[in-house]
Amino acid sequence: MQKYRGHHVRHWPLIAVLVALSAPLVVMYVYQIIDTVTTTPAGSIIPDGLTLHHWRFLTGPLSDGGPTIWSLAGNTLVFASCTALVVTSVSLTAAYALSRLNMPGRGFFLGGLIVLHAFPTVTLIVAVFLILQYMGLYDTLTGVILVKVAFELPFGIWIMKGFYDSVPWEIEMAGVTDGADRFTVWRLLVLPQVQPGLAALLIFSFLSGWSEFILPLVLAPANAPQVLATYLAGIIADDRFADFSLFKAVSIFYALPVLVIYLIFQKKLMNIYGGGTKG
Amino acid sequence: MTKTLLAATALCSVLAGAATAQTYDIRVWSGGSSAADSYRWEAIEMAADILEREAAIRGEEISINVEYMWEFGGWAEFKQAVTLAAEAGDAPEIVVTSHLDIAPWSQAGYIVPVEDYLDLDAWPLSDVYPNLMDIAAYGGVQWGVPQDAESRPFFFWREHMRAIGYTDEEIDALPEAVLNGEYTLQNVLEDATRAVEMGLVEEGMGFSPRVSNGPDFAQFYQSFGGEFYDAETGKLVLDRAAMTEFYQFFVDAVEAGVTSRTHIGTDWNEWYADVANGNAAMWHGGTWHYGRYIREGNEDFFGTIAFTLIPSGGGETGRANTITHPLVYLVTDQGDDELQGIAAQLVEIATEPRINTLHAIKSAHLAVAESQSIVPLYAQDPWADAATSVLLPHANSQPNHPDYGVYSEAMWSGLESAWTGVQTAEQAVAELEAELVTVLGDQLIVR
Amino acid sequence: MRQDRIGFLFLTPALIAVVIFYLLPVVMTAVFAFTNMSTATGIRGGGYLVTEQTLRDLSGHGLTGATLSQLADAGYEVDTEGLAALAATFGDRLAGHIEAELGGESFATSRELERALRDLRAPELRITRDRKQAASLFQRSVLNIRHDTADALRDELTGAGIPGGDHDMIIEAAYTGWSWTMRNFELLLSLPSTARYALNTLIYVALTLVLFNVGLGLLLAIATFYLPKPSAAVFRAIWFMPRILPPVLYVLMWKWLMWDNGFLASALAPFGVERINWMLHSEYHAWVAIILINGVVGASFGMIIFASAIKAIPQTLLMAAEVDGATRWQQVRYVILPQMRWPILFVTAYQTLSLLASFEYILLSTGGGPGSATEVWAMAAFRTALNNYGGNLQYGMGATFALVLVIIGTVLSLLYLRFFNFQALLAKPRIER
Repeated sequence: MQKYRGHHVRHWPLIAVLVALSAPLVVMYVYQIIDTVTTTPAGSIIPDGLTLHHWRFLTGPLSDGGPTIWSLAGNTLVFASCTALVVTSVSLTAAYALSRLNMPGRGFFLGGLIVLHAFPTVTLIVAVFLILQYMGLYDTLTGVILVKVAFELPFGIWIMKGFYDSVPWEIEMAGVTDGADRFTVWRLLVLPQVQPGLAALLIFSFLSGWSEFILPLVLAPANAPQVLATYLAGIIADDRFADFSLFKAVSIFYALPVLVIYLIFQKKLMNIYGGGTKG
Repeated sequence: MTKTLLAATALCSVLAGAATAQTYDIRVWSGGSSAADSYRWEAIEMAADILEREAAIRGEEISINVEYMWEFGGWAEFKQAVTLAAEAGDAPEIVVTSHLDIAPWSQAGYIVPVEDYLDLDAWPLSDVYPNLMDIAAYGGVQWGVPQDAESRPFFFWREHMRAIGYTDEEIDALPEAVLNGEYTLQNVLEDATRAVEMGLVEEGMGFSPRVSNGPDFAQFYQSFGGEFYDAETGKLVLDRAAMTEFYQFFVDAVEAGVTSRTHIGTDWNEWYADVANGNAAMWHGGTWHYGRYIREGNEDFFGTIAFTLIPSGGGETGRANTITHPLVYLVTDQGDDELQGIAAQLVEIATEPRINTLHAIKSAHLAVAESQSIVPLYAQDPWADAATSVLLPHANSQPNHPDYGVYSEAMWSGLESAWTGVQTAEQAVAELEAELVTVLGDQLIVR
Repeated sequence: MRQDRIGFLFLTPALIAVVIFYLLPVVMTAVFAFTNMSTATGIRGGGYLVTEQTLRDLSGHGLTGATLSQLADAGYEVDTEGLAALAATFGDRLAGHIEAELGGESFATSRELERALRDLRAPELRITRDRKQAASLFQRSVLNIRHDTADALRDELTGAGIPGGDHDMIIEAAYTGWSWTMRNFELLLSLPSTARYALNTLIYVALTLVLFNVGLGLLLAIATFYLPKPSAAVFRAIWFMPRILPPVLYVLMWKWLMWDNGFLASALAPFGVERINWMLHSEYHAWVAIILINGVVGASFGMIIFASAIKAIPQTLLMAAEVDGATRWQQVRYVILPQMRWPILFVTAYQTLSLLASFEYILLSTGGGPGSATEVWAMAAFRTALNNYGGNLQYGMGATFALVLVIIGTVLSLLYLRFFNFQALLAKPRIER
């Protein structure tokens, strides 16, 4: 296909259109970084000096008696990694059952999965709060992780099912013919085939956990389980902190893992919907 | 309600006799607070220290651990957190919050009355201004103790007023003129328009109101003679005419170009910087903003700024007014009676004049008790002194009523619609009325 | 192991999560929707509390004046019964002292009685706590005492000599908890604000979907398809980033761009453009802002789906068009677009549902303003039930909002399932064992 690109056509009109469309985003990205190490006079767009002042939060708490950025980052890391691991492992098995196993009610479950996606989860949160409270998990990180996992599951299972669907039947047939049971076949033969999906889902659910805002806000409001998103939203809303540059520096700190993950795994991420679009 | 005390007292005397070290964990959550308000919880820490020492002298050994939290984002997040924590049976023992929460939270059983634990006739509570104590009471029960007082006055930038043609004497007489209804909101519009026309301030900066929802706006409804509460029936009141005039005032301000149509949602920092440095001719705000003006680089508050009550809207019913919206210490229904007793005592000690003054002066709030005026730190502060004498005697508060939250929320969104031109003032009031009549039913009187 | 057994085993963790965190909440939300649950009533049921307000309400509903004044004026009586109780706790000396000084007197409030007790200067009552305890022994009023059950209050009323016929009415008015009601649905139909939320949601979903998720997504997918690989990767990265950046941060970038002192205002100021808040200047600005903010995130979803669909188009088709001398536009029009039918439908269906339920970006950017102009249904549900300035949480009403969304979402997704030929998704497993 590569050879069509560039034949008889000039790229510059296309690029011009794309550049024009992308310009606002690029401006935002660029200034997001520049502003954290410079000072800019009020009402201007051109920086007039370099500073590391906006990064002061790295060495001490942002506010008197507040948590340090490192403990918040630690909480967020635990939250996001647990979410990713659990979502991925639960999706891995459930999706296989829905994709490949002959069992009663398979169509019902699959249909249900799609309906679940349509549920406005956050608006059900009062009920979720009560359930967590009865489980004794309100205001704990564990509780928020459980809820987050549940809310991510329809997406995860759906994605994984797509990847399983594209594994050739011949591979399983061969395994079964050799006398292995379905569990062994799944573990040894099918799982390696869905590696890309597994990786993509792991990364995606990690990112989703890393970004989550409303669930920790409502379900874990006290000091200990605070994560970066709720803390950031809090200080932005707070009129004591004057400068956007500080927010931006904190934001860069917050976004750094996301950027690194993107750079390393961009191919896999772009494939996330690779299996899910058939039909 | 006092009968539960029986068991507790028995328990207490047993414990006192045993003289073992007793540990109490007290959590304090403080809403709407910033670092300058740190004495809201540090006062409790100080009180804990004092209480421990007093117990030690009596020969009892008690240890009180105070934990505090104040970074909640906003009032919405704070109240949600407290409410859900209380539902979960895990509320903080002491809450610092708006007095408006007393009605719903007492009905829900989240809080216990401080009058069950404290002698209201003894010092220091006997020294607290009676009208503030009333604001912390509901249904004849003293649920909380006022933590601070403030009011939300109207401000003028002296230099611009002079440029418009007022003499210094006239500016100094403004508080009097406002109080007597001689200087009204119509004068505000005229003068603000002049300030814009003369180029003293930019368009939209003639009158720069608060940038987000708050009790401040309720004052303008009162300026036009509106009342919120009918004491006789205990019902909320919607005064259609006053509400319409109140909305219309902001619509007129936008049309005259003295207030920005998109003022709501302006960044607080920008707003502070503007009003502290003469970028606005007039504005209204809180007494506690005083400290902020200094931080914004205005070293000469009294030389640059004049303040008055919120002017009357004119007419026969109009009245100059200001609303005080004290925060209150509430003790939650958490742990046993003994723990609640300790929490209440901490609140009592924190209310002592010297300790409360630390908060009042550090955060530029006003005193809650009479004798704070003789605490040197308070007496030496020119702002506290001036604001207390000019504003507090005329301050009233919003009503403690379980449904006032609905009312005020709807009133704000109506104002927002009219202000931003989404609806006319009449339409907005009609929608407000329809909404309130449907939602509040017979808890509302429409005039 | 048998296949269906493995199947259920594999499904179980997911099923448990779904039951606990989807089905149960939906059922509970449906229940809440028929209640008047709010902050004041609490969620878990209430107690029984007679207050001044209860009496006012009762006087409007036909309780006799005699009973009312009996309730209102009972107060505190220094009577023999109380003195006996006092003697048991504090000893006969104090009881005798009080009887001599205050015997037969009555007090309206505990505070007044406590004052009187204080003035006695009795050594037994030096401590506040003891004084309060002593005063409580003389309490004859039922006002402001919280009872956990109706029977406890009934006993109290009986003790206070209130006629039995009035008990039920008093108990009903004294209940602080929630009750069943259909009012939420009536409100939903009659309030002007709900119609606006519905309309806002429709505009929000339709515009974001058509302009960005599908329109821009398609444009980006096709454009990057024709570009050399390195530049295509750059543009994809630029447009993919908003999807993975934390919303709090992503919205912060937009605020920086659009606020009064933000980039746009500062960059345009030299050209004489008035400094305005580009995000909230008018309802139109706010609408453009929220559609842009959501749309840019949504576009990446479309971009990825469409890009992989374009990649899947057989090369021969494109080659044939090229040989026939088709312009690039014709190639897009006659070869690529016809192949995009299903992906477009998929994106439309999937994203309609996502958008219907989403409000995070709106909450963080315009907050629904100016004046609820950009308040959408899901956000109204969240704010009504959990998040508003006054802290007035109306769980019942919020649940009603949520329930409507659940119903719409379910119906739509079932329709989509039919439309997309659900059976095709269900390729029959080829291994029977």
